Amino acid sequence: MNEVEAFVLREARLLDEQRYVEWLELFADDALYWIPTRAKQESPQEALSIIYEPRSLLAVRVERLARREMHVQSPPSRTVHHVSAIEVNGDEARSALIVAEWRTGEARWFAGRVTHKLRKGANGLRIILKRVDLIDGEAPHRAIAVPL
Amino acid sequence: MHRAAYTDPTLFEREQERIFRRAWLYVGHESEVAKPGDHIRTRLGPDEVILARREDGGLSLLHNRCAHRGARVVSEPSGQARQLRCPYHAWSYRLDGSLIGVPLADGYSPDRRLPGLDAVPRVESYRGFIFASHAASGASLFDFLGGLRSAFDNLVDRAPAGTLTRFGGSLRLEYRGNWKMFLENAVDLVHPGFVHKSSVDAARAHPEALTADAVTQQAAQMFLANGMRATQWDDVPLHAFPGGHIYMGGFYKQGIIAAEREDAVFARYRKALVERHGEEKTAAVLSVDRFNNLIWPNISVNARFGVMRIVRPLAVDHTVVDVVCFQLDGAPPEMHELTLQFVNLAASPASLVASDDLEIFERCQRGLATPGNEWIDMSRGVLVDQRQADGATVSRGTSELPMRHQFETWKSWMGL
Repeated sequence: MNEVEAFVLREARLLDEQRYVEWLELFADDALYWIPTRAKQESPQEALSIIYEPRSLLAVRVERLARREMHVQSPPSRTVHHVSAIEVNGDEARSALIVAEWRTGEARWFAGRVTHKLRKGANGLRIILKRVDLIDGEAPHRAIAVPL
Repeated sequence: MHRAAYTDPTLFEREQERIFRRAWLYVGHESEVAKPGDHIRTRLGPDEVILARREDGGLSLLHNRCAHRGARVVSEPSGQARQLRCPYHAWSYRLDGSLIGVPLADGYSPDRRLPGLDAVPRVESYRGFIFASHAASGASLFDFLGGLRSAFDNLVDRAPAGTLTRFGGSLRLEYRGNWKMFLENAVDLVHPGFVHKSSVDAARAHPEALTADAVTQQAAQMFLANGMRATQWDDVPLHAFPGGHIYMGGFYKQGIIAAEREDAVFARYRKALVERHGEEKTAAVLSVDRFNNLIWPNISVNARFGVMRIVRPLAVDHTVVDVVCFQLDGAPPEMHELTLQFVNLAASPASLVASDDLEIFERCQRGLATPGNEWIDMSRGVLVDQRQADGATVSRGTSELPMRHQFETWKSWMGL
């Protein structure tokens, strides 16, 4: 298996195993995690975003996930990130993503396409950009508590 | 208040008829229908409508339902057209709703007068904000907004060019709970310390965020602001106007979220505003430090951040909230970016703050479905509320005055 492909699959698995601190370590210091509201949105200045977070802010998000008082994760979600159709082009990967989430007796799902832009450094591959384009980014959503 | 106000489907139907089919409700902004032919698909209470700018410059609000067989005429969110044509049997209409023509017209009896699209009886605009009412008569929009016209005045006065433009699309939240919970919570100053504790603590654990990039700084300052002590919340004023409208004061006192900032971008913005208003009025406009302005029955306006939330009841236990932004025309583009980033952080379904609010609404709805304590207590602060000579009531931040005021207004509209 290609190294980039393996990285993308591991990234998804860390989320499903709720290993958020290890997940955060996959992001470079200048990384960006982005879930736009619009299809083909070119910049965060063009429109609102469901999430637009530099790594410094993602660190606060991950910190919160460890806290008992995070009501929207009490009890926590169980998720499966189903990653498929991975196309690798150098240090960039495009894939299809379906996330199934179960919490407090209810199941729901998200679907979208993901772009990973990666950089190889001394510690191996790191994420510069993870962008998730949901098929329904502009639709109403209930609370989204765990990263997609 | 009895728990049925949040759970009884027959009361919900009564709300739809007595409140959402009678009150002035926000339907759109002038900048969305700027030119003749511009139209958007929007909602007036439970009903889907088309808001259109006519050739004569006036505004029409039409039911989005063909007069022939009832098909939805406009299905795209917005468009530009001289006429509206139904996709089913091609009945076509002018933007005032009148019928232009139908195919095979000679198939109808000559004395048969075919109808056009039904128009909503009243549409009025206040400083660019367009409202409509299903009621053919009643108070004007100006009188309906009453003392809280000041929320729109302050927002528009903040624009150096004197106008606003809606931008950035929208964020949409959904929860399985009653619509009133969102509006009650928007002016509840006791919940932040408990509901938002996890984001306060997470930000405290990352002090380096306060010196990181602007997006992170703004977020950290916002998360930390929710961590004030109860006595500090009491310093935030609450103001309830006749008619059901309410505002709460601001509580962002530091950094780039403070009312009076000291950075270079804000200095450029302030200079542009002084060119429009002069020094004295500029200082007055910028010193207005309010957080949420609630316009009865279903919108919340934050003038300082150019954001509006429109609460849309779908069922007694199901609500959608649309969050939209306005750019201050003539202000530096960096101000608009900051608005978008603020709204992402504060109002997204994935927000570290709003997601816990949504969770609490769903827990309240589950709890209220259960019999037990039938009556909801909202009496905190009743001894400190003060009635003013102008009919408004003011109180300190931790009073449940807003909830009492909302329910008094609700009872009067509901005829209960």
